Amino acid sequence: MGMSTLRNVRYRGMASCVPKTKVSNLDVAPHLKQERERLTRNIGIFERRICPRWQCFSDLAFIATEKLLADLAWQREEIDALIVVTQSPDYLIPATAIILQDRLGLSHATIAFDVNLGCSGYPFALHLLGSMIAAGTIKKGLVLVGDRSASEHEPLFSDAGTATALEYDPAAPPMMFDLNSDGSGYRAIILPVGGHREPPSFQHFIPTKDENGIWRTPYDLQLDGTAVLSFSTQRVPPAVKRLMEYAGATADSVDYFLFHQANRMINETIRKKLALPPEKVPSTLHDFGNTSGASIPVTMTARIREPLEAGPKRLVMSGFGIGLSWGTALVDIDGARFPEMIEA
Amino acid sequence: MIFLDSCLESGGVFVADIQQFIEQFQTAVDFQEAVDIQPDTELASLAEWDSLAALGVIVMFDMEHGKTITGTDIKACKTISDLFALLG
Repeated sequence: MGMSTLRNVRYRGMASCVPKTKVSNLDVAPHLKQERERLTRNIGIFERRICPRWQCFSDLAFIATEKLLADLAWQREEIDALIVVTQSPDYLIPATAIILQDRLGLSHATIAFDVNLGCSGYPFALHLLGSMIAAGTIKKGLVLVGDRSASEHEPLFSDAGTATALEYDPAAPPMMFDLNSDGSGYRAIILPVGGHREPPSFQHFIPTKDENGIWRTPYDLQLDGTAVLSFSTQRVPPAVKRLMEYAGATADSVDYFLFHQANRMINETIRKKLALPPEKVPSTLHDFGNTSGASIPVTMTARIREPLEAGPKRLVMSGFGIGLSWGTALVDIDGARFPEMIEA
Repeated sequence: MIFLDSCLESGGVFVADIQQFIEQFQTAVDFQEAVDIQPDTELASLAEWDSLAALGVIVMFDMEHGKTITGTDIKACKTISDLFALLG
């Protein structure tokens, strides 16, 4: 589709919720310490948040939504749509959004469904709900974005759930988008077992040692680091430039550039290629890791919620990753609510 | 010609260039301790030659030389000279 503009859509607010439990990436066996320090330094991730066994992504998103609804003083019966963008559903089926419709006490007239997107998800989420609102058929909607992807032993991923509120408003400034997909790279980040191509079976529970000497089962996420790095650093900078040209925006006119928090090597390369000053590019890698599709909203909450509440701000947001999929949004925010980070 | 005499190695590789490349390589790999690296040093002999190092080298090629290389390109390299040759 390439570039597009949505009118009549107001960004009303956003809330983020992370688990209380923290995991330090430096908490490893003494003989692995030096190697882990090098890894941590390079990926820029020192601490992550991890759900306890009983906690799902939807539990975090539910709490974020309750807080946002209270802050906005929105009535539940006013909400026309509830979209969940996650790869960590409560169940493979039915959709988590429908379960949350009931749990949140929303009306039966609510449109509710899930979207299977990960790290790239936030710009797509805004575009999807925004398109429904721009068409004028629904007035108020919520989109919940995030994942539960942290594990004790791998150093990248961290858990978070977020809720964003959009509303029909003919006076709203336009939102602009550049959204892309390249399925030829679907193997770059994949959970190969458990779907219909390879249904779960006994042999999948037997761990095998990979080339780095790490024991894995096919139930573990497989991530081709070099492919993801090349994809991100080659595709994202031109996409951001393209959207800014389309919007007629200069880097000076943008207050903050929010990139998916992948890892420091990827994010710094993207920032340098776009010649952006670090103060305009907030990061939460250090203490929140890679929170998948939630990383853009989590960074907004953790780093810039006060400036966002203080006055009008122009943001460029860029999500990229699993799919492969990458999307950029230019959003003007004014008068929106950004509650403090919730820990649950 | 003084420059050529001092810089030209057998095979036509500029020593000055490969020395600079080795320095960039050492930064990119982020060695824990100083390592003596020569053009014929085997990558597999380096303790830190791992998946993280490959990421660093891809970024180094991109940012220092404007050259896009892949993980497959890197896997095909045995020595520092092989990596250097990817600059083309």
